[in-house]
Amino acid sequence: MKALILVGGFGTRLRPLTLSVPKPLVDFANKPMILHQIEALKAIGVSEVVLAINYQPEVMLNFLKDFETKLGIKITCSQETEPLGTAGPLALARDKLVDESGEPFFVLNSDVISEYPLKEMIAFHKSHGGEASIMVTKVDEPSKYGVVVMEESTGKVEKFVEKPKLFVGNKINAGIYLLNPSVLDRIELRPTSIEKEVFPKIAAEKKLYAMVLPGFWMDVGQPRDYITGLRLYLDSLKKKSPSMLATGSHIVGNVIVDETAKIGEGCLIGPDVAIGPGCVVESGVRLSRCTVMRGVRIKKHACISGSIIGWHSTVGKWARVENMTILGEDVHVCDEIYSNGGVVLPHKEIKASILKPEIVM
Amino acid sequence: MGSTDERVVAVIMVGGPTKGTRFRPLSLNIPKPLFPLAGQPMVHHPISACKKIPNLAQIFLIGFYDEREFALYVSSISNELRVPVRYLREDKPHGSAGGLYNFRDLIMEDSPSHIFLLNCDVCCSFPLPEMLESHRRYGGMGTILVIKVSAESANQFGELVADPATNELLHYTEKPETFVSDRINCGVYIFTPDIFTAIQGVSTQRKDRANLRRLSSFDAIDSATSRNLPADFVRLDQDILSPLAGKKQFYTYESMDFWEQIKTPGMSLKCSALYLAQFRFTSPHLLASGDGTKSAAISGDVYIHPSAKVHPTAKIGPNVSISANARIGAGARLISCIILDDVEIKENAVVIHAIVGWKSSIGRWSRVQASGDYNAKLGVTILGESVSVEDEVVVVNSIVLPNKTLNVSVQEEIIL
Repeated sequence: MKALILVGGFGTRLRPLTLSVPKPLVDFANKPMILHQIEALKAIGVSEVVLAINYQPEVMLNFLKDFETKLGIKITCSQETEPLGTAGPLALARDKLVDESGEPFFVLNSDVISEYPLKEMIAFHKSHGGEASIMVTKVDEPSKYGVVVMEESTGKVEKFVEKPKLFVGNKINAGIYLLNPSVLDRIELRPTSIEKEVFPKIAAEKKLYAMVLPGFWMDVGQPRDYITGLRLYLDSLKKKSPSMLATGSHIVGNVIVDETAKIGEGCLIGPDVAIGPGCVVESGVRLSRCTVMRGVRIKKHACISGSIIGWHSTVGKWARVENMTILGEDVHVCDEIYSNGGVVLPHKEIKASILKPEIVM
Repeated sequence: MGSTDERVVAVIMVGGPTKGTRFRPLSLNIPKPLFPLAGQPMVHHPISACKKIPNLAQIFLIGFYDEREFALYVSSISNELRVPVRYLREDKPHGSAGGLYNFRDLIMEDSPSHIFLLNCDVCCSFPLPEMLESHRRYGGMGTILVIKVSAESANQFGELVADPATNELLHYTEKPETFVSDRINCGVYIFTPDIFTAIQGVSTQRKDRANLRRLSSFDAIDSATSRNLPADFVRLDQDILSPLAGKKQFYTYESMDFWEQIKTPGMSLKCSALYLAQFRFTSPHLLASGDGTKSAAISGDVYIHPSAKVHPTAKIGPNVSISANARIGAGARLISCIILDDVEIKENAVVIHAIVGWKSSIGRWSRVQASGDYNAKLGVTILGESVSVEDEVVVVNSIVLPNKTLNVSVQEEIIL
C-alpha cells in the first residue's frame, strides 16, 4: 500500500518553530510530527510514502533518510512548483501512487494528530465498496468548519456544508482519506481543493463514505492547539501504552521524558509535559502543560507552564515562562526573567521581562 | 560657643493617622513612622542620627497618633540609645511650627541652646553634627538642610535661594509653579530657642487678623488662604521661612548625600535601599552575608532579622530586608523587596520589587514582581497584611489590600 502526506508550505502558523525546520519536522511529543504519521502507516503495512511538499524538500529528505532504513519504508517527495491546493498534489504524484495492484491509497494531512485507526479504516473501506473513505471527527463548534452531512447508519456522505450558520451536523473532515486509484481520474493537474471540488462530486454519485474517528483528533498547526494536542495525545498514550509515561513522586499527570534527559532534585513535572532528548532540568524546577524540545536546559527553580521551549534553548534560574510563550531554537532566557506569552524568534537572548504577550523579533 | 554644658534637644515630627494616606495599604496596619526601612522603623533612622549630636539631652516625637501606638517603640529605643525619648501627642494637626510651639514648655525644660527639628518622612544621611557646627558659625536663628535636585523635579518641594558666599537664605517659596531654584528644603532644621518667638509672632498676627475680620467685613479683599487658618496652625515653610528669608535669620547647609521624601510605599522600597547602603558605613554588622553553603547566598545589601529563617538554597539581594519571624523556603529568590514580620515565602518562589505584608504567604513557584519604577502608581507590587498567593500564581505590578487570597494570576490591578 502507498500513502501521500500533504505537507504543504511554510507552516507560518507554527512560527517561530518553523523558522528552524519545516513544519512536519517540528517535534510533537518528542517525535517529529510527520513521524507519527509515517509510523502509523508503516504499522498497517504501507510500503511507500510520498510527501507532497512545496518548501525545502531536501531538508525533509535528508532528515527522513535515516528513518527510511530504520522503519523499512520508502519515502519520496513530490514537489510542487506552485501551490496546488489540497487535490492538485494528488494529480502531480499520480505516477507514484498508482501501480498494477489497484489497491486504494491513504492521503493524510500533516497538521493533524490523532490515534490513526488506519486498520479500521481499511476494513470500513472494504465493507462499503465505495470509491473513497474519509475520516470525520466530532467537534463542539461545527460552524467554524466544513461539516460533512452523512447517513448515520451507513456513513454514506450526502453533502458538504462550509461553515454552516444553522446546525446540519457536528462531524467535520479530519483530513485522513483512503481513496481508490480511480479518484485520481477525477483530479486535474491544477490548483484545486479536494474538499470543495473532488469529494462533493463523489458524494453526489453516492460513492463517498465517512467513518467517525474513534479517539482524539487535533489540528496542531498553531501553538495553542499544539499544547492542547499534547494533552490529548498523552491522555491517549496513557490508555494505550501507559508504560511510555514517566512515573515517580516528582511527576503529576501524564508526562513523557526522553531516556537521555536528566531531571534534578525537588522538581515537580506535569501534567501534560514532554521533555525531549538531551534536556537538562535542574533542581527545584516546575513544569506543567509544556513541551521542552531536544537539548534544552532549564536552570534551577525556574517555572514553565503552557509554553513551548524550542531546541537548545535555555531558561534561566528563577525564570518564569508561561501563557503560550513560544521560544524558537537557541533562545536564552536570562535568570529571574518573566515571560508572559512572549513569542521569541530563534537565537535571541531575553534580558528583560515580557509582561504581556508580544513578539520578540 | 560650643561649650560642653550646652544642651541640644531633637524634635521629630511624625504626623498622624489622617496624614500619609498615600502610604496605604501599608499604613492601614501600622503608623507610617513605624514602617520598617532597612529592617528598622522609619523613625529609627533620624533617631539614631540624633544620637551623634554632641550633648543630646532628649528626643521628642510629636504627632497625633494615639500614644499607645508608639509606647512600645519609644520605651525600647530609649533603653537602646540611653537617651530619653518621649512621644508628645497633639490633639490635632498644628502644622510643623505650630506643633513645635505647642510643646515649647516641655522642649525648653532642659534649657537647650539648640533644637533640631526633623521630619520623619524624609530619607537622608542626616548630617546633624555638621549642621550644628555650621549653624554656630553662621550665628542665625536657624539653619536648613538643603539639597540640589534636577530643575524639573524641584517644584514638588520648597525651593530656596541662598547666598553662595554666606549661605544666608535669601528667598523661600513652597512648590512654585515656575522655576525658582534647584535647591530644595530637606525638612531638617536646627534652631535657637528664638524660633518660638518667631512662631508666636505669626500666631499673634493671625489672632489680630481674625479679630479684625470679626469686627469688619474685609473677607473679600482678604484673599490668601493662609489667612483663614486657625491661629495655632503655623507652617514652618510658608509662615516662617518665606517671610524671614533675606533678613539674616536663616542659613542653609547643603547636603551632598542622598535625600528622598517617603510619601508612597514604592518610595519606601527605594529608601530602604538607600539606608541599607548607608549601613555599610554606619552599621555593617546589620548587613547579612553568605555564599550559599551554610547560609543563603547574599548579593548586595541585605538585612535579615535574627529571628527570620532563610533556607541555605535561597538567594537574597540586592536591596532586601527581611523582618522578624519570616520564613524563606528552599530555592526562593528575593530581589529588591521588603518582607515584613511572619511572612512565609515557600519553595522556589520569586519576589522582585515588592513589599510583602505581615503574615502573608507566597506559594511554591509563585512570583510576585513589579517593574521597580518607584514613582509609578503600580511600580512596586504591594501585598497588604495576611495576603495569600497560592502556588504558581503570578502577581505583577499590583496592590493587594489585606486578607485576600489570590488563586489566579493578576497584572496591573488594585485588589480591594
